[in-house]
Amino acid sequence: MGAQQRQYKQRIGSAQGMKKIFKAKEMVAASRISKAHARVQATTPYAEAITQAIGAVATHSGELDHPFLETDRQQTGRAGILLITADRGMTGSYSHNVIRAAEELGNRLREEGKTPVLYVVGRKGETYFRFRNREPERAWAPYSENELASLGHEVSEQLTADLLSEDAERHLDELYLVGTRFLSRFQQVARATRLVPIEVVDGEENAGGIGAPSYPLYEFTPDAETVMDELMPRYIESRIVNLLMQSMASEHAATQRAMKTATDNAETQIRKFTRLANSARQAEITQEISEIVGGADALSGSGRTER
Amino acid sequence: MSALDVTFVTSDRTEWSGKAARVVVPAADGSMGILPRMQPTLAVLDRGIVRITSDSGEVTEREVRGGFVSVDADVVTIAVDHADRPASR
Repeated sequence: MGAQQRQYKQRIGSAQGMKKIFKAKEMVAASRISKAHARVQATTPYAEAITQAIGAVATHSGELDHPFLETDRQQTGRAGILLITADRGMTGSYSHNVIRAAEELGNRLREEGKTPVLYVVGRKGETYFRFRNREPERAWAPYSENELASLGHEVSEQLTADLLSEDAERHLDELYLVGTRFLSRFQQVARATRLVPIEVVDGEENAGGIGAPSYPLYEFTPDAETVMDELMPRYIESRIVNLLMQSMASEHAATQRAMKTATDNAETQIRKFTRLANSARQAEITQEISEIVGGADALSGSGRTER
Repeated sequence: MSALDVTFVTSDRTEWSGKAARVVVPAADGSMGILPRMQPTLAVLDRGIVRITSDSGEVTEREVRGGFVSVDADVVTIAVDHADRPASR
């Protein structure tokens, strides 16, 4: 067998091997999407309960203020950005998209005269900023998929502490979340949202209107301030945990898509090399035939009749 | 008599939901019992035991740590940080 043919065979073999790996990864990701999505949905009732409770407190005690609700909390000009990226590679453009969204947000904040402070979840984001000599304030990586709830707790504890801190070196004026929303299996969006100061949309949206959700006059135990103090950190935590889980689901979806493309590419490669190998084999055969014919011609032309 | 519409959730799952005759929760300033037609209340919870007596008299108990409860027109929402089955006595 010719050297060329052997080389093509080798490349077909390796493409086939890779295709199998990609296919397996695709299927693993596909099965994990639904699990991750179920986890997102399991947190929804809790998040709804908290949002509703906060809306109730906020609408009924107009004079109530909480540090997270103040719209003007300019102290140090530091704005925290929590960026959620993947730990693993092979996720297509998943991590790049969120990092780009975070960079855009950072630039916008800088234009407004604020100092963006980065908090990063995931190894991809961490290495991105470390490589560019812009160490994140704090990075959580690597993380485990099964411990998203406790990770969210840890992250929100740190962020809440920094938001409330009196220390000018640590205090954050604002907090933004940058992560990937899981809209469906086929659609995920990287988006940046502001978490603090909180806009209480609930109830204010159509205030005065007939359709405004009317909260009854609540009795607060022990009192409205304490209830608010208890609710706020939980609200922050539930939002962060929810986003972490959505991002995880999105990561799996992105992986699935990337692996699907990789499988298709491997197939294309295999087809291409099979064609090339076929034509190489054909060329070799043709050459052999012409060599034989040429040899026979040369023999008959020499006038010798017996061998 | 009307029944309470209870939803009992923790941060990552729904622990219990359905109709209940009465609910006892560990509020921050002492145990609080909730019966139908109670005034709207929003209370902070401490650690303790949440006891839900369902319509049929079945009792569900959970040991909880931190959270809150809201009562509004017989709709009771209990949201807690952690809930465990109480250690059998």
